[in-house]
Amino acid sequence: MLLTLLFVMVFGLLILGVPVAIALGLSSLVFILLAGQVPDLVVIHRMVNGVDSFPLLAVPFFILAGNLMNTAGITNRIFDFAKACVGWMRGGLGHVNIGASVVFAGMSGAAVADAGGLGTIEIKAMRDAGYDADFSVGVTAASSTIGPIIPPSLPMVIYGVVASSSIGQLFAAGFIPGLMMAAALMIMVAWYARTRNYPRDARFALSILLSSFQRAFLSLLTPIIIVGGILGGIFTPTEAAIAASAYALFLGVAVYRTLTVRRLLRVSFDTIETTAVVMFIVAAASIFAWILTSNRVTEHFAALILTITENPILILLMINVILLIVGCFMETIAAITILVPVLLPIVVKLGIDPVHFGVIMVLNLMIGLLTPPVGMVIYVLSRVSGVPFERCVAATMPFLIPLIIVLLLVTFVPQLSMFLPTLIYR
Amino acid sequence: MTPQKDGKGEAPQASPHFPDEDAPVDLSDIRPEDGIVLVLFWVLAGVVFLQFFSRYVLNDSIGWTEEIARYLLVLVTFVGAALAVRKNSHIAVEFFYRYLPGAWGRTLSTLVDLLRLGFFAAASWVTAKLALKTNQKMASIELGKDALYWVVFVAFVAMTLYALRVAWRHWRQGYSPLTRPGARQLVD
Repeated sequence: MLLTLLFVMVFGLLILGVPVAIALGLSSLVFILLAGQVPDLVVIHRMVNGVDSFPLLAVPFFILAGNLMNTAGITNRIFDFAKACVGWMRGGLGHVNIGASVVFAGMSGAAVADAGGLGTIEIKAMRDAGYDADFSVGVTAASSTIGPIIPPSLPMVIYGVVASSSIGQLFAAGFIPGLMMAAALMIMVAWYARTRNYPRDARFALSILLSSFQRAFLSLLTPIIIVGGILGGIFTPTEAAIAASAYALFLGVAVYRTLTVRRLLRVSFDTIETTAVVMFIVAAASIFAWILTSNRVTEHFAALILTITENPILILLMINVILLIVGCFMETIAAITILVPVLLPIVVKLGIDPVHFGVIMVLNLMIGLLTPPVGMVIYVLSRVSGVPFERCVAATMPFLIPLIIVLLLVTFVPQLSMFLPTLIYR
Repeated sequence: MTPQKDGKGEAPQASPHFPDEDAPVDLSDIRPEDGIVLVLFWVLAGVVFLQFFSRYVLNDSIGWTEEIARYLLVLVTFVGAALAVRKNSHIAVEFFYRYLPGAWGRTLSTLVDLLRLGFFAAASWVTAKLALKTNQKMASIELGKDALYWVVFVAFVAMTLYALRVAWRHWRQGYSPLTRPGARQLVD
């Protein structure tokens, strides 16, 4: 009874527009006061313990690294290099958009950072070249979801902490699915470019390629340090994050000289704000998840699902649908913190590797970032492009098709995710 | 719907620049009290870097860095959350307000402001109780763990005060970012 009230309260508060963290914290506090089984101190204790975790230290520094790279001009150089590589294809800037997102994905772990930083350049460049706004927004939105699939990835860090599985393995597992997303989106762009007769934006020229490579060389080392370092087992994710931040700081201050004191202050405060917002949600979601676990909601839910069917394929499909729906309504980090304790026991029982499930889950929630009402990426892009929210949603819809196809492939072909982690860690 | 350029165009202009490439940096949203969280954040960065450096270069990671880094992360989270309350930037779902008539929007967004205020006030109270009950010591330094909770307490009090101010400002200007997402907000 009280548990029903808990769910109604969270859902109601979210729809009402209460910030996600506060909706979770407030409902949990009210539940604990009404239930009276444990002292109210538990709420704050769990909130603090939820963020008191060593692996979570990767969060602020991946955010810092992404912000530093956007501000220090590293992102521009990568965009230019991507343009020299694939800009000669028909619908070139669409492909550039995806290619740059892949490289940027190797440095930043949040789709919203990709949309807000790189997305701003991409949309402006496509607009200047005469592409229609809808296509530009659609490609940018869809390609920004590659960011958290290719390592590093904030959602994977959170998943790893909540599911107590290896973050390094999760990172490795996302690599191939991320490249598949890029390939699927590029096929989509190629099809658009053919039917709409989009231009080639530049002729292929080796000299331009070489000069942009030279200009971008030091920037391109960033994803190599991070992805190589993590996949090679040299760095832990937290170490990769701090190394990437230090390297970006070095490039910005000593090499490109783009980081002034004021800019560094701006970057610091933006990083602090994003970190606090994300981690505050983690804190509030961990008390909520604790209530679900200690009241055995998770067990009952698992039993319920398993009475419906024991067919792994059907259950995985069901979980995908649940995750897609939840992803539409709930912020990614909160969804992971709450749903992992609920769903993980079921999939483990089915013999699915938690690492594989991590990729499935994050990919689902990334698609949720592109759909209202909580489509964070769409909000950001609507703001930077000036295209109204509803039009942005409509423009992004067609691009969900390739992403959902990749999602199904990743769900039902475990090798796509597990090949690299098995190769590297076992 | 199609680009105006013909298929054989030259590469368009030089690389696009960030909107802020040469523009002055806007720091007008920063207040003197934000210095505290700024220091906490960079000390955290320093400690994590030290941990990294000691493991790789000195081949022996310094023991206290891990525990201290975790505590600093807790502090950055809660003190930073206060900054985010002041700037009203905690993530919320504003979607349904698009379909609400004005008066309803006003009422419900005021309710949201009050609920937020209520949560922070209650959380401050509970945190103080928790701090008073804690007599555990930290593992690596001579300091009670209650010190950590007291800072979290101060952060919650700051959140309460900021939430009060945000609520009052929304009331005075007659709308909140929920009802008018793009509108200019009053600056205090």
